[in-house]
Amino acid sequence: MRSYWTKRVLGAAAVLLLVIAANFFLFRIMPGDVVSTIVDPRFSPEAKERMREVFGLDLPLGRQFVIYVRRMLTFDFGISFLSQRPVWDELKSRVPNTVALLGSALVLSSALGTWLGVKAARKRGGFTEKVVLLSGSVSFSFPSFFVQLVLLLLFAYTFPLFPLRGSVSIPLPEAGAARVLDYLWHLLLPAGSLVLLGFGSWAIYVRNLMVKTLGEDFILMARAKGLPDGRVLWNHAFRSALPPVLTLFLLALPGIVSGAVLTETVFSLHGVGKYLLDSIMGHDYPAAGAAFYILGLLTIASNLAADAAYALADPRIRVGGRVQS
Amino acid sequence: MAFLLILAVAAAGPPMLPGDPGRAVAKPFAPPAWSGGDAPPPFSGAITPVSREITIDWKWDAPENLTLKGQLVFDEDSPARLVWTTAEGDSFTLATFRGGRFWEVDLDARDMAFKTGLGIPPFASATSLLFPGRGVQTLSLEGPAPSGGSLGLALPGGRWGLLGTDQRGRDVLSLFIVGARVSLLVGISATLLASLLGLSIGLTSGYLGGAADALIMRAVDVLLSIPVLPILMVFVGIWGKGLWQLVVILGLFSWMGTARTVRSLALSLRESCYVENLRSLGAGSWYILYRHLLPEAMPVVLAAVSLGVPGAILAEAGLSFLGLSDPRVISWGRMLHEAHGFGAFTAGAWWLIIPPGLGISLICLVFLDMGRAIEEMADPRLKGGGGR
Repeated sequence: MRSYWTKRVLGAAAVLLLVIAANFFLFRIMPGDVVSTIVDPRFSPEAKERMREVFGLDLPLGRQFVIYVRRMLTFDFGISFLSQRPVWDELKSRVPNTVALLGSALVLSSALGTWLGVKAARKRGGFTEKVVLLSGSVSFSFPSFFVQLVLLLLFAYTFPLFPLRGSVSIPLPEAGAARVLDYLWHLLLPAGSLVLLGFGSWAIYVRNLMVKTLGEDFILMARAKGLPDGRVLWNHAFRSALPPVLTLFLLALPGIVSGAVLTETVFSLHGVGKYLLDSIMGHDYPAAGAAFYILGLLTIASNLAADAAYALADPRIRVGGRVQS
Repeated sequence: MAFLLILAVAAAGPPMLPGDPGRAVAKPFAPPAWSGGDAPPPFSGAITPVSREITIDWKWDAPENLTLKGQLVFDEDSPARLVWTTAEGDSFTLATFRGGRFWEVDLDARDMAFKTGLGIPPFASATSLLFPGRGVQTLSLEGPAPSGGSLGLALPGGRWGLLGTDQRGRDVLSLFIVGARVSLLVGISATLLASLLGLSIGLTSGYLGGAADALIMRAVDVLLSIPVLPILMVFVGIWGKGLWQLVVILGLFSWMGTARTVRSLALSLRESCYVENLRSLGAGSWYILYRHLLPEAMPVVLAAVSLGVPGAILAEAGLSFLGLSDPRVISWGRMLHEAHGFGAFTAGAWWLIIPPGLGISLICLVFLDMGRAIEEMADPRLKGGGGR
C-alpha cells in the first residue's frame, strides 16, 4: 500500500513540476523581452529596469526558477496586466465555479454512464444497449462546443427555459435559498450538456467490460449458488470490473478539464477556463500562467482522488500484492 | 466512398466558386432561401402595354429595397403617372410623366429624391412606408396606354442562397466549402506529424526495452496527464495564431497514443523467433528496426492515423472556436466562433451554427469509420506477427 502511494504521489509531484516548469520556460522563450511578460508593457523603460531588479530577473536562471516554484506553491501569482489587481484575487472567485462544473459533470456522467453500461450488459440486444452504443459512437465525433451551442440555441433562445449566459443572474437574488437555486439554474445547461456528451463513452466501456466479466466462471458459480440476479450483477460482476472503470476515470480527467474551458466559453461562466482564454487573448501573461497552473493543479488533485478511490476499490493494493489486471 | 466525396469537395470546390467567398453578397444574417420565415423572397414584375398593373400579395416583412427601371413608349401626348397603393389603402405617386413619346424611369427606393417625393425625411425607410403590412399592394400606371416598352419592378429578397449569410453578408455555403479545406489540411497534417513522432518514439522505446523504455513511458504518462486544450491555448498565446504553428502544436501533443500502441507491438515482436534469427544472422539493430519492425507496425500506424484525424480536427475546431486561430483563414471552427461572438444567437441565425458543426461531425464520423475498417484489416496481421 505504501509503495503504491509513494509511486502515485511522486508521479503527481512530477506532473506538478512539469506544469510549473512549462509555465516558467514557455513565457521566457517568447520573442521579446522577458520583462514584458511579468511587468505591464505600458511602463516606462526606467520603471522596467527597476522592475527587473525587483522581480529578480537579473539573477541566474536556476535561482529564478527556485523562486518561481516557491511563488507558485504559495499562490503568489503577481499582478494582472488588465485589471492591475493581484491575479489570485481574480482567480479566487472563479475556482469554485470551475470546480462545481467539473465535479458535477464528472460525477453525473460517470454515474449515469456506469449505470446504463451495466444495464446494457445485462440485457444483450435490448433497447438500452442500442441507445448506449449509438450515443457513445456518435458523441465521439460531434464537437462538444457545437452540441452546447445547439442546446443553447434551443433551450435558451427558441424556448427560453434557461439563461443565455453567466454563472449567476444580475441582479443577484436576495435570500440564500434563492441564490442557490439561481446558481443551479445557471449551471444546469452547461453541466447537463457535459453529461450528455460524456456518458456515452463511459457506458460503452463499462458495457464491454461487464459483458466480458459476466462470461467468467465465477459468475456462473454465483448464479449456481442461487444468488439473486441483482447481487450477482452488482456485488460480484461490477465489483470485479470496478478497477478498470476507475482507470478510465483517471484517463478521462484531462479531457474533462479541456471540455470545461470550452463549456465556460460557450455559456460565459465565471470560471478559470474562461479566465485563461480572456488572459491569453489580452496578452495578460501573469494571469494566463496562473490560470494554466490552477487547471493543472485541478487535474493532478482529481488524479490523486481517483487513485485513492482505486486503492479503496481494489483490495489487492491494500494488502500489498501485485496487481494483475 | 464518403471520404472520396469529401476530398473532392474540399479540393475542387473552392476554385469552382463564383467570386470571392470573403466578399459580402447580401444583407447580414439573411436566412436561407428555403426557410426564410418572415424575410421576403425576391420578387420581380413588369408593367407592359398589356398589363398596366402589378399586384403583389405580400406576406412578409418589408423588403430592403425597391427598384423600377425601364422605358415606356407612348403614342398619345398626355400626362401619366405611376401610383402605388398599399394594403391599407393609402396611395402614393411614385413618378409623374408630363407627356411626350418616351418615358425613361429609373427609380430606386434608396434615393433621397424618391423619399422626398414621397414626403418622408431622407433617412427614413421608403420601403416600410410602401409596405406597411401584409396584404395586397398594387403598382399601377394611370393615364394613356403605352404602345411599347416595359418597366421592370424588382424587390430584392431578404433571403439568400442555400445557407444564408453571416454577420458580414458573406454567403455561408461558400464559406462552408472553403472551410472544409482548412479542417482537412490541419487535421491530416497534424496527425501525420503526430504519427511520425509516435512511430519513432514507440519503436525505439519498445525495441530498446529495459530502463530506457520505462523512462520514456513514464514521460508519456506525465505528458498525458496535462490537460490538452489549456496547454494548446498557452502555446498559441505565446507562439502566434498561424495555421502551421497550429499544425506543429497539435502534432506535438497527440503522439502519445500511437507511441504506446507501437511500443507494445515492438515489445512483443522483439521476443519473437524471427527477430532472434535476424540477430543471429548478424543483422544490426537499425536494420531490424527499419527493414522489419517498421513494415510490421505500418498497419497499426495507419489505423492510428485514421482514428487520430478526428481528434486533430476537433482540437483545431476547438481552438478556432475559442478565437485562437488565424482570423484571415476561414475554417469551420472559426465560423462557429464568429457565430458565437458576433450575434448569431440574438439574430436567431441557426444557419450559421448548424452547417459548420455538422460538417465537422461528418468528417470525423467518416474518418472513424475508415479507421475501424483499417483496424479490422490490420488485426489478423498483428496476431500473425507476434509468435513467428
